[in-house]
Amino acid sequence: MSRTTLIVRNDLRRRLRAPMATILFLVIPLAMTGVIGMVFNPGADNRTQLPPIRLLVVDNDKDLAAKFLLGAFDQKELKDMFQVTLTDTATGEALMRKGKASAMLVIPEHFSDDLADQKPTALEVVKNPSEEFLPGVAEEFAATMAVGFSALAQVFADELKVIKSVRNLSLEAVTIADMTPFLEMARAKIIALRSYLSPLLLTVSSSTTTRPGREARASGFNIFSYIFPGMLIMFLLFTIEPSLREIQNERADGKTRRMMFSPLSGLELVTARIFSGWLLGMAVCLLAMGAGTLIFGIDWVSYPLQLALVAAACLCCAALFAMLNAFFRNKNQAGAFASPIILVFSAFGGSLLPLEQLPAGMRWVGRFTINNWFITGCREIMDGRLPIAALLVLTVSGLFFAAVAMAVLPRRLSAG
Amino acid sequence: MQQHILEIKNLSKSYGETVALANFSLDLGKGEVLGLLGPNGAGKTTLISILSGTLRDFTGSVTFKGQDLFADRGLKNLIGIVPQEMAFYEDLNATENLLFWGGLYAIPEKELKKRARELLALVELGARAREPVKKFSGGMKRRLNVAIGLIHRPELLLLDEPTVGIDVQAKMSILDIIRNVGREGTSVVFTTHQLSEVEQTCARIAIMDRGTILAQGTLAELIRIVGEKEVVEVSGEFSAAAFSAIIQQFDGNGMEVLSVTDNQAHLAFADPERIPAMMQHLFQRHLPIADLKIKSPNLEAVFLKMTGRSLRD
Repeated sequence: MSRTTLIVRNDLRRRLRAPMATILFLVIPLAMTGVIGMVFNPGADNRTQLPPIRLLVVDNDKDLAAKFLLGAFDQKELKDMFQVTLTDTATGEALMRKGKASAMLVIPEHFSDDLADQKPTALEVVKNPSEEFLPGVAEEFAATMAVGFSALAQVFADELKVIKSVRNLSLEAVTIADMTPFLEMARAKIIALRSYLSPLLLTVSSSTTTRPGREARASGFNIFSYIFPGMLIMFLLFTIEPSLREIQNERADGKTRRMMFSPLSGLELVTARIFSGWLLGMAVCLLAMGAGTLIFGIDWVSYPLQLALVAAACLCCAALFAMLNAFFRNKNQAGAFASPIILVFSAFGGSLLPLEQLPAGMRWVGRFTINNWFITGCREIMDGRLPIAALLVLTVSGLFFAAVAMAVLPRRLSAG
Repeated sequence: MQQHILEIKNLSKSYGETVALANFSLDLGKGEVLGLLGPNGAGKTTLISILSGTLRDFTGSVTFKGQDLFADRGLKNLIGIVPQEMAFYEDLNATENLLFWGGLYAIPEKELKKRARELLALVELGARAREPVKKFSGGMKRRLNVAIGLIHRPELLLLDEPTVGIDVQAKMSILDIIRNVGREGTSVVFTTHQLSEVEQTCARIAIMDRGTILAQGTLAELIRIVGEKEVVEVSGEFSAAAFSAIIQQFDGNGMEVLSVTDNQAHLAFADPERIPAMMQHLFQRHLPIADLKIKSPNLEAVFLKMTGRSLRD
């Protein structure tokens, strides 16, 4: 057995003898993923379902267009999506302040008349600032309705003028003969539009694929697969770091001196330490990923690619901490710096906050973290893409860190 | 003429302004057990660190079996070290530790296991071989520390204060092991600041202080340095200056001042009958003396004479 293998075997044996720390670093990311996932309210099948959007509507128009707009919320899909409450402005604002609604839609006075007269008018959406996502959906919906109403008002401009004039008259005063020319015009436009709208010439068919030619098994979005890679890489750093900190511990308690007095070379010792960290990281990471699949139904999509990504990430982590330990003076310094480094990596790299939610500056800094590249790589694999950049960055960085560690550490170890 | 297995010539090492070793020279014969005696800061650990290759930037030369110790990594297979620290894995058991440390020397597995069993028996840990070392007492850990240094059958064993912090029984056990190792032909360099340990264990003793060897030889040879003089140890609530001033006034014919510190002084008398006169001289000058001991010539007296200070300083 080579001396490197002997040290690796010894390290792993000792880890197995005192497995609690490793088990904790395996369980905590799973638990945190579970908790965060539950907060975001996944359904029983782990697919996210948005809660109904509580929408207040203030109808200051109470005319035809407003009724038409309100009627839209009674349609099946919108009825599921929106929980509409009619109110007045003062009550609506009070409810918004109390956080009882996601948004308030204000239909202005003379909305119907302005549409009929082709005058500019505006639907107002007041968003609840304490909510992130749902008010945005309400705003998007109002914008879509505005486009639709604008188009209809422009196409049926003449008809709307007639309707408006008819509304002001008593029914007895209007004869069929008066209406006939306008009905004929409207009919002609509807027939013309029908040729565009029914059947639709262009339709959109949507599906999600995992790789070319293969349809996705699940059509929804699994929030756990979004959270878990970030947690996993953070705790992978926490798992691997102590293996490399052993370098400092062994320097302090005389083991390194004893080792350096044997035929073992400093290079062999550093190689063994990096390999130990890598192997331990691989084992923990693969176990965690398996548990992620069993517990959260995460589909890693391509196991060979994930294995390659995990191998590259573990190399990068182990080599990084080996390099850092080449510059730390003692075990106290190593202990003091390791956790802050991991937490900064996690904050900037997308483990603690989703990468998309980070400010541009943080995202830029995040590109220098292992977390960022691992998370990005995981997502690319789950999207059916090859994580070439992530693999390349992690592997090349890992080899660079290892080279620096191998150049500096043996000299420091030989010095006891 | 006995061939030297280890030859150290003019070894010097400084830490900034502090000189740790100054032209230190020493040689060691095969199977010889050498006790390197010196107070804290004498340079013992620096010497062991240089020999173990963990300290650089020194001048001088060290040859082992005629070859430069630092040029041939293969020589490391022939040297064992027992550091001051408990340098082993407490979460492994004694056998696993021996197999791990022995494995670094590329010993065949079968032979290694046999050697581990023999050593555990030698250090009286055979019955506890499968217990995690963290459950061992301090003495047992020290014995394991020594056993690890012997796992690859070294021709030279370096022990850096191997008896620090253990009880008398455990200390005697370790000294026994060192004697046995020497008898089996392994050369031993053994640093300590305990006079009794080198007196009991070593065939040759070197007294070092401030990075250099002050005297070396067998116990009998060293005692002759002091001569056949009685040594008087005077203790009390006095300052070194006050004692020196008073003792200078005494007719010191045949008396030698070995050391004077606050609260303690050592004097050697060629004629023991002068001792009562000296005591009367001290009492008449009202020197607050609490205790007075008369000792036969011993290594401590030699040490005091050579270094001018006690090992406890």
